[in-house]
Amino acid sequence: MGVIALDRLEVRLGGRTVLNGLTGELRGHAVGLLGPNGAGKSTLINTLLGFHEPTGGSAKVLGLDARTDRMRIRQSVGYMPENDSFIGNMSGVRFVRYMAELSGLPPSAALERAHEALFYVGLGEVRYRKISTYSLGMKQLIKLAQALAHGPKLLILDEPTNGLDPTARQRMVQLIKEIRKEGSMHMLISSHLLRDIDETCDEVLILKKGNIAAISNIEEERRSHRNFIEMEMTGNTEAFAEKMQTLGCECARFAGGRVKVVMPDALSQRDLYMTAAETGAEIRRIQTRRDSLEDIFLRAMEYDGVQARPAHEQAFVGGGKG
Amino acid sequence: MSVFEHDYKPYEGPTTALWKRPLVLARYGLSEAWGSKITIGLVVLALLPCVVDLVLMYLANNPVAKMLVVGGSKVLEVNERFFFSAMEVQCWLALVLAAWIAPRLVSFDLGDNALPILLSHPVSRFGYVLGKFIALVLSLSYVTWVPLLLLFLYQCYGSPVPWTFGHLQIAFGLFAGAAVWILVLSLICLAVSSWVKWRVIATGAIFAVVFVPAGIGGMVSAILRTRWGFLMNVPVLMSELWIRLLGMAPFGDPRLQFSSTAIFSVLIAVALLSVLVLNARIRAREVVRG
Repeated sequence: MGVIALDRLEVRLGGRTVLNGLTGELRGHAVGLLGPNGAGKSTLINTLLGFHEPTGGSAKVLGLDARTDRMRIRQSVGYMPENDSFIGNMSGVRFVRYMAELSGLPPSAALERAHEALFYVGLGEVRYRKISTYSLGMKQLIKLAQALAHGPKLLILDEPTNGLDPTARQRMVQLIKEIRKEGSMHMLISSHLLRDIDETCDEVLILKKGNIAAISNIEEERRSHRNFIEMEMTGNTEAFAEKMQTLGCECARFAGGRVKVVMPDALSQRDLYMTAAETGAEIRRIQTRRDSLEDIFLRAMEYDGVQARPAHEQAFVGGGKG
Repeated sequence: MSVFEHDYKPYEGPTTALWKRPLVLARYGLSEAWGSKITIGLVVLALLPCVVDLVLMYLANNPVAKMLVVGGSKVLEVNERFFFSAMEVQCWLALVLAAWIAPRLVSFDLGDNALPILLSHPVSRFGYVLGKFIALVLSLSYVTWVPLLLLFLYQCYGSPVPWTFGHLQIAFGLFAGAAVWILVLSLICLAVSSWVKWRVIATGAIFAVVFVPAGIGGMVSAILRTRWGFLMNVPVLMSELWIRLLGMAPFGDPRLQFSSTAIFSVLIAVALLSVLVLNARIRAREVVRG
């Protein structure tokens, strides 16, 4: 069973369809939620938490229906919202204890877990200070602490590195990695920073205009593209791409003469130069690299349809512009 | 998790029942409300009239003291009228206390945008409002029906003649009248507080919501030459209700004597309107828009 299962999920808000028949199953331990502004990321999170009622289809979180089991879902989920959301008049430890008690922990256990969670995220020394005096990074961390305190099975982090300086961002990313490594809870991380998702997640769900643009297992994706080559070319790149495809390569062309090629083991870089010479194209720059999340994201943004296929089938499906 | 090891451990202990979660909100709400010295000061002030009432009851029930202080006057007779006055004073002081406490219960949550994080826990909108409502009703109880019933008990104890069984309706009236008032008042105060983000303005708005319609109602009655405009006058309606609940004979302006049905209809309408406002405001703020 997946952590999150969507079945033709449709959500309409104010007469506008925000999520348009999402179908897919997320099984990863840390799932990244990507998409441009207005793609429906926050709406999806709010729907999973039961704040928005699906107008069609269904969404299941940890096997629980988001429409009928919202209290049980919230019991099992820790949520770190994107924006500032706390009670500034409270001390850090009191706030986290309050949230833990709301999640069902008895008062004494909630207090104990609040102290532990605050030390865990690195706010142990400032836990008796009022939250209103915290810096932006501390405020992000206290939101993480309250989401962790009750020991959720799924942690939903909405833009966890938003507004953090590089050091604080690194600290947050490290914490997320530690939580993932510990393995007792799943994570859904929404971010517009591809690098954050790349570093912390093993699966990614990409939304575009309320549709699923791609569901991809990042690890499998990387493993499947060991011979991934990126080139900057001039000349007849279209003919070059067509020729390479006849040789058994997967080939995609991007703006600015960028061409990406996944070659079968039987071919070598020498074949690239020979083909370029034959087709009237010139290779100006060439580098071997692994497929990045950016590539997956950019490809997903170029498609209008849904891409929810296994990673080994997904690479360069449709060939980008090529 | 462990403070010393700094690692994460899942929680495997017991959890409380879902229905108890609003009580967590109520407990923290009470703590927030009573954490202010101004709240303590207001409660002490609100209880001072009860001390005066207590002294008057002592004088009324002690023939020697009564003779010495007021002679043979009937001014100090402890009856329905005496308790009506006490109730009026306590209930209007409760308005002052509610106008101070209610914004503290709600405005902190709204000011720091805490609702998305609060309601992401297993608490519904109804549970949230119920928790705050319980905190406010309990706070107001300390200055309304609790001291009033204690005064009644003192009178039962202090009266030299059998008094209790002939005046049980007073006890019922004190409890029911104060309960109706603090229930309606709590809903009004929470609704206004949810609408206004700043505490000081919310406090002012609560007084305005109670008294401005009374003025408008008076104008409507004067212009249209009807008595129904006075239905917007909550103080008048409550006084009328208290008189009936205490079993007193009607007195005052007969134009202001409405049927119990009319009075309860207005109070229920006010309560429902408050609930609608609360629901709309909390729903609008439970998720971060944009």
